[in-house]
Amino acid sequence: MTRALAALALVLAGAPLAAPLAAQQPAGDPMARAYDLERRGSFAAAADGYRAALARRPAEIGALLGLERVLASLGKSAELVQVVPAALRAAPTATPVLSLAMRAWWRAGQPDSARAMAERWSAIVPEDEAPWRELGNLAIADRNRVAAKAAFLEARRRIGRPDLLAAELAQLAGAERDFATATREWLLALRALPGYRSAALAGLGVAPEESRPAVLKELGAAGTPEAERMAGELLARWGDPVGGLRRFAAALPADDSAAIEALRLFYEQLRGRTGPDVRRAQAMVLEQLAARSTGPQRARYQLDAAQAYGDAGDRAASRRLLGALAADTSAPPTLTSGATSTLIMLLVEEGKPDEAAAKLREVGAYAIDPEERAALARRIALGWGLRGDFAEADSALADDESVDGLAALGRLRLYRGDVASAVALFQAAGPYAGTRAEATARTQLFALLQPLEADSLPALGAALLALDRGDTTAAVRELGALAATLPPAKGGAEVRLLAGRVERGRGRHAEAEQQFRAAAADGVPATAPWAELELARTLVELGRPKEAETQLEHLILTYPQSALVPQARRELDEIRGAIPRT
Amino acid sequence: MKRRDFLAAGASGAASLALVPAPWARFGRASWMLVPMDDAQTDHLKAYGLAFRAIERGLKCEWLLNYRGGAFLVPGDAETRRDATLAGVAAAPIDDGALTQVRAEIQLGNMDAVPLEKAPKVAVYQPKNVAPWDDAVTMVLNYAGIRFEKVWDPEVLSEGLKTFDWLHLHHEDFTGQYSKFYLNYAGAPWLADMVQRSQAAARQFGFPNVPAAKQAVAREIRDFVERGGFLFAMCTATETLDLALASEGVDIAAAYADGTPMDPDAAAKLRWDLALAFQGARLETSPTTPVFSDIDGHQVNSADRRQPLGSFTLFNFSAKIDPVATMLVQCHRQVIPDFYGLTTSFARRTLKPGVVVLADEPGTPWVKYIHGERGQGTWTFYGGHDPEDPQHQIGDAPTDLSLHPHSPGYRLILNNVLFPAAKKKELKT
Repeated sequence: MTRALAALALVLAGAPLAAPLAAQQPAGDPMARAYDLERRGSFAAAADGYRAALARRPAEIGALLGLERVLASLGKSAELVQVVPAALRAAPTATPVLSLAMRAWWRAGQPDSARAMAERWSAIVPEDEAPWRELGNLAIADRNRVAAKAAFLEARRRIGRPDLLAAELAQLAGAERDFATATREWLLALRALPGYRSAALAGLGVAPEESRPAVLKELGAAGTPEAERMAGELLARWGDPVGGLRRFAAALPADDSAAIEALRLFYEQLRGRTGPDVRRAQAMVLEQLAARSTGPQRARYQLDAAQAYGDAGDRAASRRLLGALAADTSAPPTLTSGATSTLIMLLVEEGKPDEAAAKLREVGAYAIDPEERAALARRIALGWGLRGDFAEADSALADDESVDGLAALGRLRLYRGDVASAVALFQAAGPYAGTRAEATARTQLFALLQPLEADSLPALGAALLALDRGDTTAAVRELGALAATLPPAKGGAEVRLLAGRVERGRGRHAEAEQQFRAAAADGVPATAPWAELELARTLVELGRPKEAETQLEHLILTYPQSALVPQARRELDEIRGAIPRT
Repeated sequence: MKRRDFLAAGASGAASLALVPAPWARFGRASWMLVPMDDAQTDHLKAYGLAFRAIERGLKCEWLLNYRGGAFLVPGDAETRRDATLAGVAAAPIDDGALTQVRAEIQLGNMDAVPLEKAPKVAVYQPKNVAPWDDAVTMVLNYAGIRFEKVWDPEVLSEGLKTFDWLHLHHEDFTGQYSKFYLNYAGAPWLADMVQRSQAAARQFGFPNVPAAKQAVAREIRDFVERGGFLFAMCTATETLDLALASEGVDIAAAYADGTPMDPDAAAKLRWDLALAFQGARLETSPTTPVFSDIDGHQVNSADRRQPLGSFTLFNFSAKIDPVATMLVQCHRQVIPDFYGLTTSFARRTLKPGVVVLADEPGTPWVKYIHGERGQGTWTFYGGHDPEDPQHQIGDAPTDLSLHPHSPGYRLILNNVLFPAAKKKELKT
């Protein structure tokens, strides 16, 4: 058979099938036509179809709802009232018709008629709050909170249940900034349906600062563990995560699994937020979770808690947990090795490289990944360097030929003032060794070293060592003395710039200003724009924006090719109020 | 300078373009800088400030309409060069030979050069309280570095507008209904502050209520235009200004604003001859729906009637025949994404005859940007709230214009600020 014949055969074969299908579609059924027209987006024609169906059966709910839909799409919802009287005559007690009539009257701007529908509907189902909920929701959609509240309260009055529609009333009270009432309503709603918890927290969480005491007072007055836990979670949201956790934890359920669930929810609330207080609260939650867990899960919580305590600056708590975990023979090896690594880093940061080295030796050769072991060894070496024990530090890095090792060695040489070796080692390490923060710091250091002509500058080494030890006073003293001995273009300006940054970082703005002014006045092209930008920032912090403005203008006009010019323009705009402050 | 003054001045812009040295000599032998306003410009918005400040310093500039996106010719003196560098505005020195070529090109095409001679004195109508929404014009004037003064009801009612050339209105409700946020934001501190300040101002001038005071303010603004002032309005100030003007003697305010409900027959009683731009609009009767009438095509706060955002297209005008309209549409983009406001657009059927449509959304029953004359002055209405925040909500942070230095929507606002500086030749139409 040719392709043309085959196609013809298919058409003929299809013909008898198509006929019965068409016959199933009642050609004169306006409902079917209207549905089809609505589906195709012909809303005006669909509306005519639904009206035709309603002419035959005025209370046909499908047609009424269809007409409501298409009129809304046409922006003619008010026209729905035209079919309502006939529908009500045909089905005076049908609640779907009453519901639709209520909506129609409301949208036609006739709230009294809408309320009359609610009355009729309520008379049919006197124990049901649905008519009043629907009336209230119509008012809310219209942003008429007064009418909405009246409808919800009417339901309570008629049915005689003071907890009815509490969630709706809570949201209304919140919208009216009456957060004490909102709290009471949310507590009622939660008693009936605990699933409202997230909505309640979200609704009360937005309370402004002046309303928060009232919220906490209402929750305290409720005297239930659930209310206390809510108070704790709200406190955490409002910037007191540790206080919030304490209040929350005091009201935990006795049952471990329920308590774990509650603690997890609290932890989730803290996720994504930053700051030492948040990390401390997270650590406390994790420690509580560990106390209620067993096996690997317990070890995981302990490790996470130790890291969180460390991030929060509570080294003692971190060390306590890590030590316990590292010694826990029942914990999974991967976790104990992680705990050991963290503990070693902590010990180095606390200035105890010997203890850290001993701990690293204690760990079996295969307990820690070789790369991790090498990284820890570098940390320990830098720890020795910071202590001034350079021989030990060099020895620890003797076999490390990685780029990270070269970078660490370069820093150790710099501490001793060996500028030439440090530059060579930094160059060999390249720009990407170590973490991003380490690489950035090294690049800045490199900018400081490049203009120096001397191969050896012990004073610079001493200053940087003091800086890395956190002794900013000594660092500034050393840098100041060094700058006085160096020509501006040969590193003097850069050293002053660094001194200024250190002073500004420790809040000594007047001293920072002096350093930046000196560095800017030197006019060294690579340094002066930075010094002027830092000087302008310092002047803003000193409350002298006009001078800052002049300084930024000077920067832009004097160094128009500097990469800092866009930033200077932005800060100039901020000072002038031309853009919002960031 | 009032509009009539420069109409009568008759100094031909074309003359300044002639390829003969005489008019050029008016500007002396100083070197010039060309400030391109096409995609070569590094900060379109600040370029307006550069030109404005040059005029403020008494220097003469030119606006090269339709040439490189509406470029500016500014003096090449040290102060202007310094200003351009500080602002980050691209401006290149141009020698006499190159300038002659530019002028020849302008002469041959749909372009023109308009001298800019006197910086208008700018006032922005703004309440004293800090409203929880941003004001596009204030922001862009600040960003461009164009100085302005703030005026509000007491200043306007004390004939304070007489000292200004240019007045801007933004998100103000001249029907005195607090943008119809009164019921929906009941209890919000900013609303309470707004109500208290408005009522105090009304009392101070002996008005029985805020709607009456705002109507008087609207009349003062119309008088300002009729005397030769330049009015630029955005967002809901456009629609409510006209509603307030048309409702002379008719109560169109909800009961919460003046103690009595709206006149049920108000729409039929409106006197559109008193309004600037609109006619035949139907009023929104619900006091809780923040919609004023069907002038707005988008009805953003009406769940049933809200229309989606599209983009609007600027019209082309003949630069030599219709320089005012041409100035108002100078832009490096012809199609611009639309943005909502309490009044987003203007229904075509509500526009009075004679209103010049500067931009519309093709295929829709609304327009975006319109212009007209009243008495000796002009008005320009631009729908929407913030060109770079299409769905600006109450409480949203203000827009940082340093992130939008090329905003075409904001450029249209600045066209309005600069056009009163133009020394316009006699219109040929």
